[in-house]
Amino acid sequence: MLEVNGHAYELPADAGTTLAEALRDDFHLTGTKVACAEGHCGACTVLVDGAPTLSCITLAHAVDGAHVTTIEGLRDHPMVASFVRADALQCGFCTPGQIVSAVALVDATPAPTQQQIRHAMAGNLCRCGAYPKIEEAIRTWRD
Amino acid sequence: MARLIRTEKEVEGRYEEVWLVVDEDALDQWPAGPGDVVGRPTQRVDGFERARGEAVYTADLYLNGMLHTAVLRSPHAHARVTRIDLSRALALPGVHAAIGPGDCEQLTDLPSYQGAAIAAVCADTYAQARAGLRAVELELEVLEPLLDADEAVGRGQLLGEQRSRERGDVERGFEEADVVVEGEFRTQVVLHNSMETHQAVVQWVGDGIEVHISTQYIWGIRDQVATGLGLPPDKVRVICNYMGGGFGSKNGADDYTFIAAELAKRTGRPVKCALTRREENIAAGNRNATIQRLRIGARSDGTITAMSGEYVNAVGWGGWVAGTDGPMHLLYACPNVRTVLHGAKLNLPPMKAFRAPGFVEGTFGLEALLDELATKLELDPLELRRHNHAEHDPVDGRPFSSKNLLECYRRAEPHWERRHEVRARSTDTVKHGVGMASQVWYGGGGPPSYAWVRVGSDGRATVVTAMQDIGTGSKTAMAQIAAEELGIPLEHVTVSLGDSARGPYASISAGSSTIPSMGPAVRAAAADARRQIDEIAEQKGTPDAPLEEIVALLEDAQILGKGARGPNPTGMQVLTFGVQVAEVAVDVETGEVWVVRLAAVHDVGRVINPLGASSQVEGGIIQGIGHTLSEQRLTDPRTGRILTTTLDAYKLPTIADVPEIVSELIDAPDAHLTNLGSKGLGEPPIVPTAAAIANAIRDATGADVRELPISREEMLRALRETRERRGAPAAV
Amino acid sequence: MELLRPSSLEEIPASNSLLLAGGTEVVPQLRSGLLQAERLVDVRGLVPQGIDGTRIGAGATLAELEIDPQIPEALRESCRLAASPQLRNMSTLAGNLLQSTRCWYWRLRWPCRLHGGDECFARDGEHREHAFFGNGYCASAHPSDVAAALLALDATIETTARTFPLADLYRLPTEDDRRSTTLAPGEVMLWIDVPEPDASVYLKAMERKLFGFPIVGVAAVRTGNATRVALAGAAPVPWLLDGPLDDATPLPGTAYKVEIARVLVRRAVDAVASR
Repeated sequence: MLEVNGHAYELPADAGTTLAEALRDDFHLTGTKVACAEGHCGACTVLVDGAPTLSCITLAHAVDGAHVTTIEGLRDHPMVASFVRADALQCGFCTPGQIVSAVALVDATPAPTQQQIRHAMAGNLCRCGAYPKIEEAIRTWRD
Repeated sequence: MARLIRTEKEVEGRYEEVWLVVDEDALDQWPAGPGDVVGRPTQRVDGFERARGEAVYTADLYLNGMLHTAVLRSPHAHARVTRIDLSRALALPGVHAAIGPGDCEQLTDLPSYQGAAIAAVCADTYAQARAGLRAVELELEVLEPLLDADEAVGRGQLLGEQRSRERGDVERGFEEADVVVEGEFRTQVVLHNSMETHQAVVQWVGDGIEVHISTQYIWGIRDQVATGLGLPPDKVRVICNYMGGGFGSKNGADDYTFIAAELAKRTGRPVKCALTRREENIAAGNRNATIQRLRIGARSDGTITAMSGEYVNAVGWGGWVAGTDGPMHLLYACPNVRTVLHGAKLNLPPMKAFRAPGFVEGTFGLEALLDELATKLELDPLELRRHNHAEHDPVDGRPFSSKNLLECYRRAEPHWERRHEVRARSTDTVKHGVGMASQVWYGGGGPPSYAWVRVGSDGRATVVTAMQDIGTGSKTAMAQIAAEELGIPLEHVTVSLGDSARGPYASISAGSSTIPSMGPAVRAAAADARRQIDEIAEQKGTPDAPLEEIVALLEDAQILGKGARGPNPTGMQVLTFGVQVAEVAVDVETGEVWVVRLAAVHDVGRVINPLGASSQVEGGIIQGIGHTLSEQRLTDPRTGRILTTTLDAYKLPTIADVPEIVSELIDAPDAHLTNLGSKGLGEPPIVPTAAAIANAIRDATGADVRELPISREEMLRALRETRERRGAPAAV
Repeated sequence: MELLRPSSLEEIPASNSLLLAGGTEVVPQLRSGLLQAERLVDVRGLVPQGIDGTRIGAGATLAELEIDPQIPEALRESCRLAASPQLRNMSTLAGNLLQSTRCWYWRLRWPCRLHGGDECFARDGEHREHAFFGNGYCASAHPSDVAAALLALDATIETTARTFPLADLYRLPTEDDRRSTTLAPGEVMLWIDVPEPDASVYLKAMERKLFGFPIVGVAAVRTGNATRVALAGAAPVPWLLDGPLDDATPLPGTAYKVEIARVLVRRAVDAVASR
């Protein structure tokens, strides 16, 4: 069983299926994006037991028993509204992964410094360059 | 009233003459300054869909029965297929079809660059398609590739003709000069690496075709597919509701669209063909490398008397020759300029437009050499630029529709002033400096573009277009424009886009042209709707009643306003301008460079959405920093095969690479340009960044950097050369 | 392919078992064809993960070590600067030590020496990210920051079979044996013993500010009057610097790395001397 956003899903039959493939192709949760499929860009970031994890290089079977949180499970988190308010997105393809990483950061550190934000978010690439506003969104998420 | 005109249409610096039917643009511009909605910071109208992961990109699309495609792309820079057999692939489980050279135009048996498509297999799953590809029996004869740009020019292996442009008398100009500086500048191949890779899902429906595609130009794809497949354009429907970045690389249908179309025809199923990230780094297009051999001569008072440049664009196997020579012709008032531009045709993947193609590269060379001139003349770089400011188009003397570059310089002064305090922070090992660079680019857009505005009895309006929002927030800007013109709240406006079957022609989202092309059409449509509503109010005898009260009479009927982009001002040059000031720190022992602060001042006419606009400025600057410091596509020197195919090898900037960015837009409407006075903003911010950083490095260390990217190796080389020039002992 | 999740190390099948912990190398390498396996064995629950005196569990993640004040600074800093936050959450100490080179020729499966072929394509090719020591046969660079720190810390590895200095985990590939690690089939790392130094530091040169492999990484560790220095990104294996940098054998395109190494070695040695 895979527990995703509090719901139970059947494990995919093929043990070689990645968590990203299971989420997107089997469970039709396409909020989690795949941009590189090799663990280099962070777009596929989900939380596994609260820890930001690259779903494109995680085997679905390896998270059997863990709590998986995707962007679909965070749709009402204040961070989402903070991103929209701050205009912390442009094309939006990297944004779900950014928000997942940002939520994990503020769960651990509710008022992060710029250095802490940069350290925690360096694994989420954004080609459009929304970074300055992503920083602002994280700084002001409780406003 | 409709009129047939002949006009110049410009995209990405390329001009073509077209016949157009345009409607006159009879509206007066709004007064300068924020209105009720336009000119005010506005959140993206589709922000929540994107942020929540609810937006469906082409990558997320699943159509019933959809098949997946794997493409066999040439691993060699130059080869010939001597044998290909698809039969074993076709026998594998899940495989529905396989095609090879001759089955569609995009599949070749003479691949002339790595990544050229040779064959394709579609299957129930992508893994099965990949397995099918592995079962294709392929024999290739590897041929010698031509990889060196100078060698190609020497051999006459060019794309198109050599392009020479000259004004005045350059020889005499150099004779008049007191000081002449010259240098060779090189820029690297840069890859777009949009986060959503190139892809399409194609389905034949009846005797027509539906193409879902991650694109910057819905209507362009429609035309290309219609022409390519021999279909009437109305039988081609193109859909793109959300797309994950393009930056110029997604202006055309490329190969995957036609491959998917052919496979869809053979299988009777929808077919997805998506590039992998590795394919994206190999075959999705690039900003080509350039070699620039430049000379500038000036009198001792700083007046530039002559400029000349020889440019080689290492275009690759195809594409077009971008205007690397453009800044030299357009930026300064010098009467004597000569440039020669070659497009070297090489066995390398074809270039594609990338955010201000040619001008990023050319501004680096020109503005860096200009600072070398300033150093030699012992003149302040800002003063030197002001001194050579062009009041009119320096190419042909035409007036500018608007130009506020002097105002940009004035607003840059406080940032430029900081250089004294910045330099004072220097230590023995870390030197601090400030540099600047000017920016010129296009951005006027042009006709045709059309929009409809529908108002219903609920007082709400829908802007009906077939445009695309490539992430710039153009959807939001159109909503603002319609709301402002109709005089209704922004929340009462919906913008419909993304489907060629459901709206009129919309221009490409490239060349900084969406707002200046679509915006006026939307305003005109809203104004047309407003006029019809006002006429009803007149008839009813209540001319001052609010809009909501009048349209409440409509019940099921609707008002439909139509609008079109009018012509560009005749006899005027329409350009954007700006200046950036960079503060850097350089560890002179390790060659590490920090961009600490970057101030940007840009003149792009009226700003519709200051919030979205500042995001464009920041995004352009950050891409500019990547271009300057860390991004480079590398190839194996012997075979030309690409080595940087993944995002660990190809180094995009992360959040940690971002400086303090301070940006300002002049926001002065261009009084001659359309009913809005707005120019495009997507490209101007990336243009001067590399030069500003290179000039700041020179200010900090005295080192002349003439090559991009400014890698550790290049920085250390430049520092070493500076020490040797100064006769200083080795630093370590 | 099957994924086994045994409840003890003894249950791991003796042959055809590819061990999986964080999977940050194994999974992408399986998918790109660099690795082939019919059977993966999930060992995350089976390999020690915590800290026991000076011993660190081989299954500890880099993220856990990054914030642990008991860890010597060089090791903590090498974890902090390695990879991305997500990768640090996922990857284990042992996995990090066993990671493969980033050499593009190897990663793109050119038939190079490490793949059993007879040529090193980097030598006469594009080698700006490659080695300046130990590069006579293979010019690849070892990308692990953590390995360099542990080498300088003179760590000891305890496996299911033996206990040995970390340096012996690695070997330079040779004509008759192309491997760069020495673990026997079925041998599993359990603990890494890290003696506490008097002072340690890790400095890293990268092409962007965060999230990159080392151009060169320098770990300096002082115990008493003795200082050990080890380099990442310098050789096909983590490199103990026991002579002058003048002995380096850079390729034309890696000479700049030696320049940077000189500076970072000096700074690192100075830093530990004064603490």
